[in-house]
Parts: sequence; structure tokens; C-alpha cells
Amino acid sequence: MLTSGIVLIMTCAAFFVYEYITARETMRRQMSTLGQIIATNSTAALAFDNQQDAAETLNALKAENNIRAAALYDVNGKLFAKYPATIPAFYIPAHPGRLGYYFTDSYLEGFQVVEQDGTLLGTIFLRTDMKDMYHRFLLYGIIAVIFIIISFIFAWVISKKLQRTISTPILQLADTAKIVSDKQNYSVRAVKRSDDEVGLLTDAFNHMLTRIGIQNAEITGLNQNLENKVRDRTRELEMANEALTEQTEFSRNILDSSVDLIAVFDTDLRYVTLNKRGEETYKITQDKIIGRYVADVFPQTLNSGMVDDLKRALKGEFVRHVNYISGVTKRHYENFYIPLKDRDGNVNRIVTIAHDITDIMQANEKLQALNAELEKSNRELEQFAYVASHDLQEPLRKIQTFTELSERYIDNPDALKRYLEKVGSSAQRMTELIKAVLNYSRLSKSENDFVEVDLNNTLRSIFVDLELLIHEKEAVINHNNLPVTYGIPLQLHQLFINLITNSLKFNERKPVINITSEYVNGNDVNDVPEIIKHRDYIKITFSDNGIGFDQKFADKVFSIFQRLHADKRIEGTGIGLAVCKKIVENHQGFITVKSEPKIGTTFFIYLPVLHMSSTQFTKTSSTNTQAV
Amino acid sequence: MMAIPAFTQKASEYQVKAAFLFNFSKFLEWPPEAMGEPNEPFVVGVLGKDPFGSNLDEIIAGEKIMGHPMVVRRFNSTEEIDKCHILFIHVPGKTSEALNALKGKSILTVSDDEEFNAYGGIIKFYTENEMIRLEINIQAAKAANLTVSSKLLRIAKIYE
Repeated sequence: MLTSGIVLIMTCAAFFVYEYITARETMRRQMSTLGQIIATNSTAALAFDNQQDAAETLNALKAENNIRAAALYDVNGKLFAKYPATIPAFYIPAHPGRLGYYFTDSYLEGFQVVEQDGTLLGTIFLRTDMKDMYHRFLLYGIIAVIFIIISFIFAWVISKKLQRTISTPILQLADTAKIVSDKQNYSVRAVKRSDDEVGLLTDAFNHMLTRIGIQNAEITGLNQNLENKVRDRTRELEMANEALTEQTEFSRNILDSSVDLIAVFDTDLRYVTLNKRGEETYKITQDKIIGRYVADVFPQTLNSGMVDDLKRALKGEFVRHVNYISGVTKRHYENFYIPLKDRDGNVNRIVTIAHDITDIMQANEKLQALNAELEKSNRELEQFAYVASHDLQEPLRKIQTFTELSERYIDNPDALKRYLEKVGSSAQRMTELIKAVLNYSRLSKSENDFVEVDLNNTLRSIFVDLELLIHEKEAVINHNNLPVTYGIPLQLHQLFINLITNSLKFNERKPVINITSEYVNGNDVNDVPEIIKHRDYIKITFSDNGIGFDQKFADKVFSIFQRLHADKRIEGTGIGLAVCKKIVENHQGFITVKSEPKIGTTFFIYLPVLHMSSTQFTKTSSTNTQAV
Repeated sequence: MMAIPAFTQKASEYQVKAAFLFNFSKFLEWPPEAMGEPNEPFVVGVLGKDPFGSNLDEIIAGEKIMGHPMVVRRFNSTEEIDKCHILFIHVPGKTSEALNALKGKSILTVSDDEEFNAYGGIIKFYTENEMIRLEINIQAAKAANLTVSSKLLRIAKIYE
């Protein structure tokens, strides 16, 4: 109502303003045209100085009611003629002013030139009254106001009527819609009041409510259905999940129950998993290494065979590494690298199984050592068989021979006696041989028998034992102060006595024996290849001036029953140096010999310093003992 | 705007007449053959003794009519007149002869002579209430093949 009123007023105002402006412009144009007509008709009057004619021309303006005044000025601006002729001169401008027509308070007035063929002849002045126009506009205004008032009354009456027929049902419809939306109640229906468009709208609204109600029911049903489906799916998923968890745990248990180390790597050689055995072996937990590059976790593996093996497996190869020594644990493993492939046949995982074979390897080593020992025993046995076949047979043959001779010359007591003596000595010799062999074979190397031994004491007791022989041979034995060592006292005694006895026996001169000792390091010993470097040894040197032997037999002298000298005058079982060698070896030492025929022989004995004695060893020779 | 021919209350008779002579050029039309080429002069002539002094020259000087420069020429006899558009005839007693001599030419003839229209002259100056007025012989103008503006006719007396 208000809007339409404003629109009406605005429209009227716009129309009024437009009319006003248009009317003024029209008047101005009309004035200009009128002026032009007067000017054209005044040219000759002005040109030929005919004021009467000019006044007549102006008088024609009588036809125009609104023209209140007019005037013509000559070319010099002097008043030439005026209209109405009776108007006092002071009502009219004395001289021409600004050209063009302008509105003053209640007039439209202005000046216009009078010219002929481009020659200025004078100026015209016109003044017209605006009262008419203003009257007209006043009338317009009154009509507009009345029209607006009538329009308002009409609009009010019509809207009242419309409200009854249109607005009221629509407002009721809106109320119903509000109830529906507020209470979510789609069973409410709007009341239809008429069969016009509003009635149709009401019907459509009610129909829409019915549709919504039906759809609501459908949606609720669908929702229920969907919820049931979701519940079913969720249950299925949970079951599948449970099964999967169980499966995963089962797999994990299998992995963790393995006694072998099992690790899985991805294609970038990053840990995917590590079983319990692996965690125990590396003393690390899974979560510390999963997703990390193997060489980042264990830098020792960077340039190891393990990374190479993994890379081979990445190419699809089943790799078996029989004896791999781990840089991490320093243990021996038999490693398997098994490539796992995805559906497309590309390697995506590598299972590494490391089977610890350290114990087997150690057992193997022991077995090999035992084997070596056994081989050695076998060799010794062969030597023993050799002894049996040669050396032991010799006295047996003698016994046989002299026994037969004794039978043959049983009636000759002198011969018989001589033969029986021979048999007796042969038997004696056999006894000695057997004793020596037994002695050799019984040489113990049990560590339990190792005690502290002062070698000086050992030497002194030997001098006592060999006193007669030394005296008989007129031998000179020099020695310095020998160290105290750990060893088996009887064997060391045997070692020394054998060597000294040999020096006394195999000598055609008055024997001179020098015994010296010193500490050496394995690094400084060149003549014994087997010697252990960095180990400290006591080096004991026995040198004599005996018959000696060719150096080429140096290795043979230590073999059992090896006799270089067949000289019957020199007694011997051929087992002495073999015993010496065995004793030295029992003490984890080494014995070597240097000899030159007719000059003499020197034995070098290296005994490891097993336990450093409190008695300090001295190199001095000031305590030389000369046995006489 | 052009230089304005001036006549004031104090203007002499011949000053006013000189201005009228100039103004005739705006209220009459000459046939094209009389006007000739655009650069050909438009001649305002005086036949006989010149009464204007310098007034005519002052008004005409520098003016143009339809592109034709306006010039003032003075003639002693009709024989001298070859080309002329407006001619003021001031030969007392010999006016009729002069007009006869000029018959057939497109020349606006003007004179103070009382019998000028009767002789066949086109425009006659006369004085009424101390104002200079015009009398036009329309037949003569037609004979000279000149067209007179109705505006001019309205303020002039028509010779019958």
C-alpha cells in the first residue's frame, strides 16, 4: 500500500518535472523561432532606416498574448522600435544585452541578432510572460494530488477485498506450513476455502504434505534397512577381523617359536619384521628396527656378504649361504634368503632365515682336532709296528739263533754258557726296548701333573745319577742359572738326562757340554715355523763336541727307533730323542737340532712361559757348575 | 561580422545614401551571367558628378558580396560603362539619355532624379519627413533581369 503510494507519488513527481522542463524548453524554442521571424521581417526596415515599418513588424506580436514587450535596436545598439508602442522606455533595456533567452522571476526574455546575408543589421529583444505556464503547472499539480488521493482510496478498498479472498487463505496456509515445520507433523492439512488459484495452491500444498508423509515413511523404512545392513556388515567385519587377528597371531607365534632367526625385509632392505629369536640374538626389540635400512641398524653389515645376498634374493634368486659368520654376533650361521613375490610375480619381500651352526662348527673343529690326533696316533702305531717288525725282532732272532745253537751244542758247556749269556743279553735288550716303548707311550700330558719346576734342581739330580759316566768320560758340563718353569718334573728330568746321555755317548773325545738358557719371543724365532708369535718362550741350548751327524738327518733323529749310528759299541734304543720330542711337545714346546759331523751337535729347546715364576730368570753365567 | 555602414542622426544625406547603395546588394539578385566568375568584382558605379565624396569608398572598402570583392568605379559617360552592378546616376538633365544607353543591361540604376522612375530608372531616392525613402519601378527591375526582395518592396513605395 505504502510502496504503491510512493511509486505513484514518484511517478507523478517525475512526470511533473519532465513536463516542467519540457515546457520551459519548448517556450524557449518558441521564443527563439518567434524572434527569428521578427528579425527576418525587420531586416529591410533596419537596412533602410524605416522605423515605422519596424514598429509595424513588431506590432504583429499582438497575436501572441504572452509577449509583454519587444524592441529592435539598430546596428549601433540604439533603440530603433518598441512594442507595445505605448510602453514606457524604462521597461525595455536601453541597449542590447547578452544573446539568447533566459528565465527571470516571471518572464522569459532575451536578445537575438538581426542580420541579412551575414551582415549584422541590428538586435531584437523579446519578453514573454510565464504566468500561463505556471498556471498550467498549478493545474497539473492539483490534478495529480487529486488523482493520487483517489488512487489511494481505490487501492485501499481493493486490498481489503483481496485480503479477504487471497491474503487470508495464504496466511492460513503459511500458519499450517509453520505448524508442519515446527512440529514435524505431516498429518496436518490446510483448509480449502475456494476453487480459485489459492484453492489450487492449498490442494497442491496438501498433496505435497501427503507425498512428504509417504516419502518420510519410505525413508524411515530404508534407513532401518540400511542400519540393519550396516549392523550385519559390521558383525561380518568384526568376525573377519577376529579371524585375521587370530591368523596374524598364529603366524607370529610360528615365527617366534622358530629356533632360527627369521627376519623379513622390503625391497629397500628395510626391516618388516624380526622374530623373537632375532630380538634375543641382537638384543634389540622389533619396534627399534622396523622400517629401518639393515645397514643403518647394523653398520657391520654394510659391506658384508649379507647385503650382497639380500640383493641377489631381490632379483628372485633363492640364496643359501652355508657358513656365514655374523659381523654382529660373531657366530656361525647357515643363512637362507627367500624372495617372496606379489601377484604380478615381482619380489616384494625377502625372508631371511639364519640357522645358528656355531655349535656344529665347534664340534666339527673338535672332531678335526681329534682326527689329527688320531692320525698322529696311527702314525705312531705304524712306527710301533715297524719297531716290532725290525728292532724287536732282532733280539728275538738272536734268542732263536742262540737257543738253536745251545740245543746243538748242549754237550759243550763252555759254548752253551756263552750262548745262554747271549740269549740273556738279548732278552735283557728286549726288555729295555719294551720298557722304552712303554715309557714313550705312557708319556702323559695331563695338565694336572704340571708343577713348578726349578730346572737347576733337575740338572743337579742328573749330575748325581750320571756321576760315574761323567767321571768315566772325563766330561765337562757348563751351565748357567736355569729358570723355574711349570711342567712335569719327571719328563723334564728325562728330557735333560736323554740329551746329556747322548752327548756323553756319541763322543770320541772328552765331552764338553754347554747348557744355556734365555727368554725369547715367538716373533724373534726364525728356525721354528710352527712357533706361536707373540708368545714368550724359554730357550734352552744344549751343545756338545760329539761326533755329530749330517744336518740332512736333522728331522729323522727325532723319529722313534731311528738310529743313525749302527756302531755296536754305542748303546741305545733309538727311542731317546723321540721321547725328548714328545716331552717337549707335551709342554707345548718345540725342539730343533743343528749338527755337524765331528764338530758337535746343538739342541734348541723352546718351552712356553706358562706361568711367570716369582723367581726371576737371570742370564748370567757366573754360577757355572762344573761337574767332574 | 562585417564593417557596418553607419548612419546616425547627424549622418549627412549622402552618407545615408551610400549606406543604402551598399545595402541594395543584399536585397536584390543579379542574374548569374552578370555576376560572372567568383573572383570578378562587384562594381558599384557613380555616373556623372560624384556627390558622395569619400563616403561611398569608406563603406564599400574591403566588402564582399557572395565572394565577389566590391569596388567603386566612377564614370563620366555611359560609354565608359562596361561592367557595373549598381549605378548611381547623377547627370542632371541627361538622365533619360543615360538610361536609354544602359537599356538591356542588368544594372540596378539608382538616382535622386524626380522623374527617374518615369524615365525607366529602377530605384529613386526621395525625402519624406526628413527621412530618405525609396520608390521602386518593378517593371524596370524586371526589364533589367533583377529580382527584388519582398522585404525591400515592403518598405518601399512602388512606382505605378
